[in-house]
Amino acid sequence: MNEKERQYFHAIQILEDNCTGCTACVRVCPTEAIRVRDRKAYIDSTRCIDCGNCVTACQFHAIIPRSDPLDIIHKFKYKVAVISAAYFGQFTEDISYPVAKAAILQLGFDEVAEEAVITEFMIRVIRQYIRDNRDKRPILSSHCPAVVRLIQVKYPSLLPSLFHQEAPMSILTRYLRDQIIQDNGIKDEDLGIFLIVPCVAHVTAVHQPEGAYKHLQDGAFSIGMIYGKVREYIKDLQNNPPDIDTYPKGLTWALSGVQAELVDCEDIRTLSVNGIENVMEILSRVEDHYLDQYDYIVLRSCTNGCVGGCLNVENPFVAMSRIKKMIKEGEARLIDLKGIEGLYHEGEFDVAPLAPRPIMELDKDIKTAIKKMKRINEFLTMLPGLNCSACGSPTCYALAEDIVQGKASIEDCVVLLKRHSKEEE
Amino acid sequence: MKAHFASPPEVEVDLVFVVPEKDFNAAGKGSSEVKNLLKRLGVDSETLRRIAVASYEAEINVAAHSKGGTMICLVYDNLIHIRFEDKGPGIWDIKQAMVPGFSTADDLVREFGFGAGLGLPNIEKNSDALHIVSAKDNPTLLELIIFFGTP
Repeated sequence: MNEKERQYFHAIQILEDNCTGCTACVRVCPTEAIRVRDRKAYIDSTRCIDCGNCVTACQFHAIIPRSDPLDIIHKFKYKVAVISAAYFGQFTEDISYPVAKAAILQLGFDEVAEEAVITEFMIRVIRQYIRDNRDKRPILSSHCPAVVRLIQVKYPSLLPSLFHQEAPMSILTRYLRDQIIQDNGIKDEDLGIFLIVPCVAHVTAVHQPEGAYKHLQDGAFSIGMIYGKVREYIKDLQNNPPDIDTYPKGLTWALSGVQAELVDCEDIRTLSVNGIENVMEILSRVEDHYLDQYDYIVLRSCTNGCVGGCLNVENPFVAMSRIKKMIKEGEARLIDLKGIEGLYHEGEFDVAPLAPRPIMELDKDIKTAIKKMKRINEFLTMLPGLNCSACGSPTCYALAEDIVQGKASIEDCVVLLKRHSKEEE
Repeated sequence: MKAHFASPPEVEVDLVFVVPEKDFNAAGKGSSEVKNLLKRLGVDSETLRRIAVASYEAEINVAAHSKGGTMICLVYDNLIHIRFEDKGPGIWDIKQAMVPGFSTADDLVREFGFGAGLGLPNIEKNSDALHIVSAKDNPTLLELIIFFGTP
């Protein structure tokens, strides 16, 4: 492991034995972080933003998500699960919301909490933040860890525009930790709080949070990983419907569009964007100040928001439709949030200003950068321009850059090689 | 057409884009690629923004008002010089076109959300030097220079 790899944690793992070097992952990576060399894929740790595109693209189970094994909860005396709202879109409609929630308890947790409980509080905090920061328009949502990392890597000038407060699952963790220690007389080290998450970016965020002043969670489990077990418990639970609190109106958190609508009001105009390609296009426009008419932009890396995360089991559109139905049919309920409000006013949910992870500059010195750019252009005229990725770099341009940066050679181009061998004949 | 600005000794990197008439999807590609190129060279974000705004507006102008043209970007180690050359029909009154809010955009252009009459004023605001040669029923040459700020 080199210095850079140690620096950034990623919840994505390559199983070399399974990798065929097919380059499917290379082509879908939005930050061009993957290369195939010697018929094996590898990820540049400084460029990877944990979006999970490669996990979905790999047909050979060679790129797998890395979430924690469920056993780790037994290291703690009191175990709490905090559930992402996306989880509730994963089940067919005969399985009720309370049943799906109670099934998580059966996994061995002493308590379950869901992100949905503080959605309303979050909306208020976001609105307040926008009104307090009118000089920075538009404010960009920071709740998708992949988007935060994308901005650090490719759009560092936008970092000050990010919503600088903790994400809902972290806020909830912070609150629950205080509450449980106080009410149940449990020691901090005996209390384990874990997230049930829809994507690899959230796993990464638990292990290496950006801007967090305190390390909050003790682990993250993927929805896909626990799904099989949960289904078994659901079978039993359906005969004895559990008595458990639910918060249907808060499930909006899993849907980027609905979340934007909720923040939208008389003095706040919002825009919702999802899907990493769309997010990149919008960020580029925000950089040029073409979207200053918006006060808040909800940005989510996955299709439709967290329901599109690569660790989910259900299709993002079906999951969205189910969650919308639950929101519509569910009843609003009063939730006592005094404890959370208190922590908020003490500034406990503030996050440190985020630092850039720039990857774009060819060189620190502009003269050297220009020299490199010229050499890249020279190589580019030699290359076939097919962007076939057969060399292991995503595009001909990326190969030209890799050559100039000393990471590849022109002989890696399969098309040129074939042309040359024909000429020799 | 002869360029107005005396060129420094040698262009470091150049980029040429075709800007087709009334194609608002293609228009904007040039300025976006220029921005990406300059990002790679490490140009600071405020300068990048000025270049992006000025070049985008000029590109849209070519697409909206002319019969198509080209965008030629000449990058030096301390500045960028961008030339827009179109096939006419030219600007009747350049002075009037520089007034914010003045626009000759037709309905099609307005339908795409352009034509607010802020194109040229915005270009002027964001450029360090601007030069326009045009007349009725003639091609238009617009060139601008933006210096890279010291980081």
